[in-house]
Amino acid sequence: MAEPGGRPLADASLTDFDDLVFGVEDDGYSSFHDVDTSAEVDATFRSQRRIAIGYFVVFLIGLVGLGLSIVFSGWAIGNRVLGGFSPSFLLAAVGLYGFFVILAVAAGTLANGVDNQMLGASSLPWRPRGRLRVRRRPR
Amino acid sequence: MNAPSLGIILAALALSLGIGLLARLRGTRSAVDFQLAGRQFGVLMNACAICGDYVSAASFLGVAAAVYAAGFDGAWYAAGFAAGFVPVLLFVATPLRRFGERSIPDFLGRRYRSERVRFAAVLIVELIILVYLIPQAVAGGIAWELLGGASIPGISTYASGIVLTTTATATLVVIGGMRGTTWNQAVQFALLMAILLWLTAVLVTSGFSYADAIDRIDETALTTPVETAGGGEELSEVTSRLEDGPAYFGRPGARYGAVGHFALLFTLVAGTAGLPHVMNRFFTSPSGRAARQTTVWVLVFVGLFYTLAVMLGTAARDRISAEAADNPWLAELTVDGVLRVPEHALLALGRLYGGETGLSVVTTGAMLAILSTIGGLLLAASASWGHDVYERHINPRASRTEALRAGQLAVIVMAAISLVASLPLDPGRVPSSSPSLVASLVTMAFALAGSTLTPAIILGIWWKRTTATGVVAGMAAGATLSGAGLLWALIDSGAPELLQTPAVVAGPVASAVMVGVSLVSRPVDDVEAIWVTMHGSAGDRQAERLARATLEAAQ
Repeated sequence: MAEPGGRPLADASLTDFDDLVFGVEDDGYSSFHDVDTSAEVDATFRSQRRIAIGYFVVFLIGLVGLGLSIVFSGWAIGNRVLGGFSPSFLLAAVGLYGFFVILAVAAGTLANGVDNQMLGASSLPWRPRGRLRVRRRPR
Repeated sequence: MNAPSLGIILAALALSLGIGLLARLRGTRSAVDFQLAGRQFGVLMNACAICGDYVSAASFLGVAAAVYAAGFDGAWYAAGFAAGFVPVLLFVATPLRRFGERSIPDFLGRRYRSERVRFAAVLIVELIILVYLIPQAVAGGIAWELLGGASIPGISTYASGIVLTTTATATLVVIGGMRGTTWNQAVQFALLMAILLWLTAVLVTSGFSYADAIDRIDETALTTPVETAGGGEELSEVTSRLEDGPAYFGRPGARYGAVGHFALLFTLVAGTAGLPHVMNRFFTSPSGRAARQTTVWVLVFVGLFYTLAVMLGTAARDRISAEAADNPWLAELTVDGVLRVPEHALLALGRLYGGETGLSVVTTGAMLAILSTIGGLLLAASASWGHDVYERHINPRASRTEALRAGQLAVIVMAAISLVASLPLDPGRVPSSSPSLVASLVTMAFALAGSTLTPAIILGIWWKRTTATGVVAGMAAGATLSGAGLLWALIDSGAPELLQTPAVVAGPVASAVMVGVSLVSRPVDDVEAIWVTMHGSAGDRQAERLARATLEAAQ
């Protein structure tokens, strides 16, 4: 199925591939059969959605709940910790960034793991056929 | 402007131009090359480029200015800017790249199989880009004015700065395209970090203590310069919006009440995923997995950047008031030790601790931040006009050269519009109720993005049932509500806090309209195929195989 003036939708990733191979002549390397089935993708999608929503809830709790409650509590403004900072200023100026990075690393690692385990099971180990010829761009 | 200052700025511009020319020599032969750099940039490179794109004048000058003027409340700006990349990582980066288009309107048009959606998205993208471009140009004028740069005959130094930065960036983008701009943005971000680290090191070695500075500043209430009835100037205490009495630097309340804090955070967090120039960058990643890893690195880099920016804003508040009496040049910029224009904070700090050379270095940083962000914005404008309008509708049979020329023309036109629109907005002459005019203008762009494109993108990725009709209706509702709120807040300084960052209302309303209308309209027929492309990883595996094959062939 193709859009007017566009490319077939199902080949979207192949067009990206075409962009990548600009300068590389296809000689068997791009003709291998490696696709994801709808069932595989659907299961992965559900898992990724759970991960995304779960980590987003943690993000919200950290940012809105913890952040605002500490920020607006008298204890967090009036007391001093770590070299003389108030907990609220320390949180806004430094602490939240550390929280974001830890959250991102954990979520990214888990999402990559899900992709690895749930997708690509039907693809065969890659064996190059033919010879790869690298073609120079026309100047 | 003295010779060393001119030399530093010219060296930075020459470096940027050299990178653009080098990229051109490596080949910008097609619109995909011009707009997406052939989709060949690696994780760290792309992360640096995204940071260069994202860390604009609002971040480099605006965050320090907001912290300088509003203390704790200014630090929230920075936290919100960084927090926005967490939802991008969780919900957007990987599927957006896997679907693999050239621009946000292209993505939405193909996801919803609708030219109506594409056109609506083009209009919104151009509006967001324009609103984002104007404060960058304003910051260019501010930096140039403080540096004492030359004036173009017939116009002010401020206006000359705007003309210089906008023209220089448009030239660099036209020459280098996305490849040159990506390299430039990555190098420029590295230089920005180096400048912040240098200023921090100079401060710390001179005995500056962060915690002690906050204690000193907090001994007195926050003050801001105001005009007196007789036309003079005096300092006025800032009233807290959270407590009775004056506001203090280290406490929340100088700028926002409880609702305002929440609304600001929501707007910045929701807006990031809808910023066209930043999201376009994910299309340049070689794969969806690379886009995910890129976002993690972006969070690391922006976290470090904003930590330093907040600290330097604090240092500026502490040191400038202490040094104003002994430095005539600083006394001219201040009223009883408080800067008239908060955006001068970082620049003044640079001059205090590094003399004229220090001022030049920080000004160069500001110029680089402006150049890299304007570059990204102009490229995003080019992608939507050139690809989504010209190539698809005006001239579907366009040759590579014609498509490239259309994109380049779009760059020039958008640069000209932003130049003209920013000329009247000199922060020294335009009264503003906000702590930083530059940061506030950028926040308006976030509000528009978070009320329109973000819900359209996220629902399109995660809910199969979303329809074109629903998305168009939702984007129209979001744009109308947020636009009306922002206009009201601009006209009436006493407008409710929610209207100053209206995405907190307009975003959920837009999402609700999208969901409601989608439920009573027809979704796209081949949504399963779309899902396989967007949530499958076959494209990633192909890209990885290709990378291995290319390496093997090269050995």
